[in-house]
Amino acid sequence: MTGWDSRFETELLRLGVQPGRARQLAEETAQQAAECAAAPDSLFGPAHLYARHLLSELKTAAVPLGGAKGPVRLRLTGVGKRYRRRTVLDGVNLTVRAGEVAAIVGANGCGKSTLLRICAGLTRPTSGSVQRTRRVGFVPQDAGTADWLTADEHFTLFGAAAGMAPRRARSTGEHLAARLAWRPTKSQPTQHLSGGTRQKLNLVLGELHAPDLLLLDEPYQGFDQGTYLDFWQQVHSWRDAGRAVVVVTHLLHDLQHVDHVHDLGAAQ
Amino acid sequence: MVVSRPWLHGFLDLCLLAMLREKPDYGYGLAQRLAAAGVADVPGGTLYPALLRLEQQGLAEPSWGPSESGPRRKYYAVTPAGRAELDTQVSEWQRFRTGIDALIVAGAENPR
Repeated sequence: MTGWDSRFETELLRLGVQPGRARQLAEETAQQAAECAAAPDSLFGPAHLYARHLLSELKTAAVPLGGAKGPVRLRLTGVGKRYRRRTVLDGVNLTVRAGEVAAIVGANGCGKSTLLRICAGLTRPTSGSVQRTRRVGFVPQDAGTADWLTADEHFTLFGAAAGMAPRRARSTGEHLAARLAWRPTKSQPTQHLSGGTRQKLNLVLGELHAPDLLLLDEPYQGFDQGTYLDFWQQVHSWRDAGRAVVVVTHLLHDLQHVDHVHDLGAAQ
Repeated sequence: MVVSRPWLHGFLDLCLLAMLREKPDYGYGLAQRLAAAGVADVPGGTLYPALLRLEQQGLAEPSWGPSESGPRRKYYAVTPAGRAELDTQVSEWQRFRTGIDALIVAGAENPR
């Protein structure tokens, strides 16, 4: 096997493919390149990217041609953002309907987080227009929580902001936390939580008031593999429940889970 | 005509199943038939995952065959489930095409 084949197989293993299956896929891929009389990297591109691409292809169902669509929850029309003379975003169009998941992808520094903040109404675009539903949940990449408050106190506080009674906010928060395989400990301040658990808290807070549109900025950083899968299961149950979801991500293999991909491309 | 990737993605399974119903073939042969039909130059990174997916879904069945020169080849044949899927996709495609044709004709008859 060539270097490409072994890098490909290594990446498949790293992505959790069973060793026997990884070997089989690597051998088939080598044979495919041979029947085309082409070098694998010219046919398939870099080994690690193709490994992810292949796995997502094997999991994706074909795109349906038509079918029922939900009401529009978010619509960006020609959205642009400049900071002084630097153009961060230009002419972004994006429509997300109820029951759809959209991913915003691109290199670091290409404006993914800025775009999500514009979707949330936290940042004003320089040009273009944003229409969004009233009930929006926003999960920032980090921060958003207060170090000295416990998880329960966060539930109460954020619930109050959405007009929820304290007890209902707490029980909703605990229920949502359990879905992410997390049981908040009483009287533990947030500053003592691990990074991954703090992200779970962020996720729960974004969802606490049952928003119609969820905006998530790479909310699973620090999640272990199991929780990461729980997270996508959660996204799918939101979608199936008719919510609209926008996820900022830099992980290509996440794209198997989504309906739309908006690629912001390279850094500006 | 250059077919953009999302479009091709939607119709590639349909094209592959249709070609396999005509006769079993291997990956490179299918790519050549697609190009010869003027549908698309399908890159290997799109074609082979699609074939593996058809295999995984039980819509196409692989068998290893010799080649006149070089390494052995993986030939695919359509399965009964693949034929049923093809019929479904063909009727979807026809509905889709009829819709687009209607839009084009409407524009040609009433230009403004």
